[in-house]
Amino acid sequence: MAEVSEPAIAETSRPEEPVSEFDPKSMRKTKPGLKRLILTLSVLLSFLLGFPFLWKSVEIYRAPLPFREIDHFSAQLDSAPLLFPCHFQAILIGFNSKPSISSDDLQFAISDLTSQTPQCGACSASYTVSVSVDSDAICAVDFDSDDEAVDELLESTLGGPAGERKVYSVVVVNRDEDVRAVVGKYRHAWISGRVSEAAALSRAAEIFVKVFVNGGKEEGLIHGEFMPVGADGRIVLSFNLLNANPNDGVYDWEFQKIEETVLAPVIEALRPVANISVESQVLYHTPKFSFSYWDHKWSSYIFNTKDLPFFVNSNEWHLDTSVAAGGRSKILHFVVYVPSADEWPLLLQLPNGEVSKTNGFISPMWGGVIVWNPEDPGDTPDSKQPVRHKISYQDLQKVFEVSMGQLRQLFGLKSDNLFVGSSGTSRLLASDRGFTLWELDVLSRQHTCFNLHSCATTLGSLSRLVQSLPRMIIMDEIGKQVTCPDGLFTQAVHYSLEVAKLAQVNASLGVYDASAVASRQARSLAEDAFYHPSIMSVSYYSFEHCFAVYSPFFLPVSMHVLLAALREWRRHKQENKKYLAWKTKINKAS
Amino acid sequence: MLFKIRTLFDSMAVTPLYLYLFLFLGPSNFSNSPFAHGFPSSSSDTTMHTNNWAVLVCTSRFWFNYRHMANTLSLYRTVKRLGIPDERIILMLADDMACNARNKYPAQVFNNENHKLNLYGDNVEVDYRGYEVTVENFLRVLTGRHETAVPRSKRLLSDEGSHILLYMTGHGGDEFLKFQDSEELQSHDLADAVKQMKEKRRFKELLIMVDTCQAATLFSQLQSPGVLAIGSSMKGENSYSHHLDSDVGVSVVDRFTFYTLAFFERLNMYDNASLSSLFNSYNPSTLMSTAYYRTDLYQRRLEEVPVTNFFGSVMETIHTDAAYRAPSRKTSGRADIKTSPDKMVTDDQIKTTTNSNVLDQSSDQKQADQACPFARLMSSFKNKVQTVEEADSLVNYGLVTMIPLLLLSTLL
Repeated sequence: MAEVSEPAIAETSRPEEPVSEFDPKSMRKTKPGLKRLILTLSVLLSFLLGFPFLWKSVEIYRAPLPFREIDHFSAQLDSAPLLFPCHFQAILIGFNSKPSISSDDLQFAISDLTSQTPQCGACSASYTVSVSVDSDAICAVDFDSDDEAVDELLESTLGGPAGERKVYSVVVVNRDEDVRAVVGKYRHAWISGRVSEAAALSRAAEIFVKVFVNGGKEEGLIHGEFMPVGADGRIVLSFNLLNANPNDGVYDWEFQKIEETVLAPVIEALRPVANISVESQVLYHTPKFSFSYWDHKWSSYIFNTKDLPFFVNSNEWHLDTSVAAGGRSKILHFVVYVPSADEWPLLLQLPNGEVSKTNGFISPMWGGVIVWNPEDPGDTPDSKQPVRHKISYQDLQKVFEVSMGQLRQLFGLKSDNLFVGSSGTSRLLASDRGFTLWELDVLSRQHTCFNLHSCATTLGSLSRLVQSLPRMIIMDEIGKQVTCPDGLFTQAVHYSLEVAKLAQVNASLGVYDASAVASRQARSLAEDAFYHPSIMSVSYYSFEHCFAVYSPFFLPVSMHVLLAALREWRRHKQENKKYLAWKTKINKAS
Repeated sequence: MLFKIRTLFDSMAVTPLYLYLFLFLGPSNFSNSPFAHGFPSSSSDTTMHTNNWAVLVCTSRFWFNYRHMANTLSLYRTVKRLGIPDERIILMLADDMACNARNKYPAQVFNNENHKLNLYGDNVEVDYRGYEVTVENFLRVLTGRHETAVPRSKRLLSDEGSHILLYMTGHGGDEFLKFQDSEELQSHDLADAVKQMKEKRRFKELLIMVDTCQAATLFSQLQSPGVLAIGSSMKGENSYSHHLDSDVGVSVVDRFTFYTLAFFERLNMYDNASLSSLFNSYNPSTLMSTAYYRTDLYQRRLEEVPVTNFFGSVMETIHTDAAYRAPSRKTSGRADIKTSPDKMVTDDQIKTTTNSNVLDQSSDQKQADQACPFARLMSSFKNKVQTVEEADSLVNYGLVTMIPLLLLSTLL
């Protein structure tokens, strides 16, 4: 049957076929199927769809840092130095005639003395000046009594309650005696004597500018080596009593008592500037490194200032053993050195031939050394046990007075109490808190300046570093808001910027203490962010690494997929063309 | 581990075809271009030189690298003798020589076959020993980024007045230094660490001495000012050991370090021989390599710089003129103390209230910023995406949805 039907079909179909030949190479009868094309395209599509997921999975997590704000902050600090508002007040007493000077004259005199380009921490150009005459309350003060009493009386009349704006005052008293000037422990000074108005004016202006604003130095700026505050705002004062040769006698001290009486007020006073803690230890067998020679004139062993750099024997003096000091705190060592009996007494000779009154010296950013000679140690006793001595309280007080002087030197202030200016010498009263109020103001201003600058440079360095390593992971702790309950480590950068702005606001309001505290906090936060242990630029997951890991798989596979899709697409077009050719042939024929 | 992979794939030949194909993947990432060096006019000229630090690193371990440890210990001894105290020296050693089972002289390390000097004798304080000597720890020491628990003795606590001596010895090559036979320090990593140190003002001047093969390539990428670097050999040259100690059985010192020590044995801490005399004392014929130093980043002239600026101790001292004597130091002080604890409490409270105010302000500010609707939309989308637990699970979901897509297409 098949045989019969086939030729029949063939016969029947033959006359239906058109005359033109069917070329299977360039024509096809059926529409090309889409199955193959859709298959390959779907594989390609799934690759393309999966690509964003792959990209996200190898993405580096970088918490967003406020780069623009950081740049803005640094630029702001660079362009306009931080200036504080100051208020000056001059009070004239005892001038019979109506004084012809006014506040404008005083302002003129002050601006004469201030430099043209104000440095950071100085007074802003808009300081207020007032001159008043013969105020009754001041007249009641008896300027004949001793300076401390005068100071207290002046403070009770002039000094306002804490929180009010701080006014620096100079009282000029025209009396019949030699001119002397005294700067008190608070924020006022007085000049008494036969002084004309003009002289009084210039002297008062000098005290205002050189003493109250600049802190008793020619230039108002404290260098970085006299800012011993650590990066986390802490200082550790380490007091060490060194017995060079305990066989001659072991010296001990009652540190607790002297700490409570002498050190505690100072630490409290320096609270806005730094967070201070105190440690002490007694060491034995700690000889010094340098040599001394016997001098007949002074009948003692002499070492001079050329030996000072070699005095500290770091091999034997194990001073830096503090466990309380964190990694970024600053330690200041105060050494009281008791020489051995065969080098007794040991005195320091200055280059001018004189013997030092204090027997001490400092090294900036390290600390200070005082050589204390005990009372005649006598002959070495034959007993095997070394004799134990305790340094008496009076001796210890004297030693700690020198230590206080050294602490002031380490902070950039002078340890003596005289100010020598162009119009005369003034006496500076000493405070039992180690620093007078106006000195604390100067320190607060300078430290605020320094901290804010340091904060700005740290944040700037951090932003430059982070931007230069685009593939480094930045954790949330460094960057932005993460409401994590454990403290200040989070929000470091943002917080640091906020606190720095707070410091600037406080500075503009004249609140020195709060601005110093805030600036210290800002600096400490910026340092925390910069020194976060996760920022390690060790060939971080570089692009070459990513490329080298993923390309051996993805390159061949994707190439094949792409080529397959392309090939299928081309084939489909070809077949479509063939089919169209066939169709046109049919249409032409029919 | 990262370094191993890197070297492995670096050695793979990457054909240009692949490169062209994958150019679109990361055009921006190719250029890790060094950003503009906008250094502020370096105030390092005005800061005082206050202290000296030394970081001495021996990057080799195993018995046959005896000479590297002897190098480092010799330099440690020199630097201590000239005055730098232990608290300002960071010593990184593998420290497996002195008590090595193959050491005929237990607990003794020599740098000369005459055995005159026992380098391991007394007072050797090693800060990083054994497997702690890694590239990561080394870079952490330089940049200062430690975990909070790291003790002070392991930190480089330098400040802007410090001069730092950095001495490295071991096996090195072109632009790298091998650490403990398992990883490498690349020259650009070292340059980057030095740049960060300079930005953070962790040193005033830095002297880098490298005693390895092809040492000069290690500091070829440095760009920070105030850095002086000397290497024992140039690119393509090897650095050789000085002599073999037939008793101990290994070479005990390298040539560069041997001649450096010979120079320093003539000095004591009061001397002021200059750096140029040190650098000129290296003779290429005796070293069998060319000691190359670069001074283009260093402002001062080498003739004026004494070697004790880096190798010795310096202490700027200022005499204390007078004691600070306050007149009223009596029992009234005691009464003041009693009131101060209360005052301290109130101060802390004031501080914390200002802190919380700042916190509220900052969060409010962030919400006010989202004024633009597109930004709002994107941020809400981002928040929603972030609420999904992990990005990884999201990726997994995506990959899983691809499978039905594929199945769908095959069914068609």
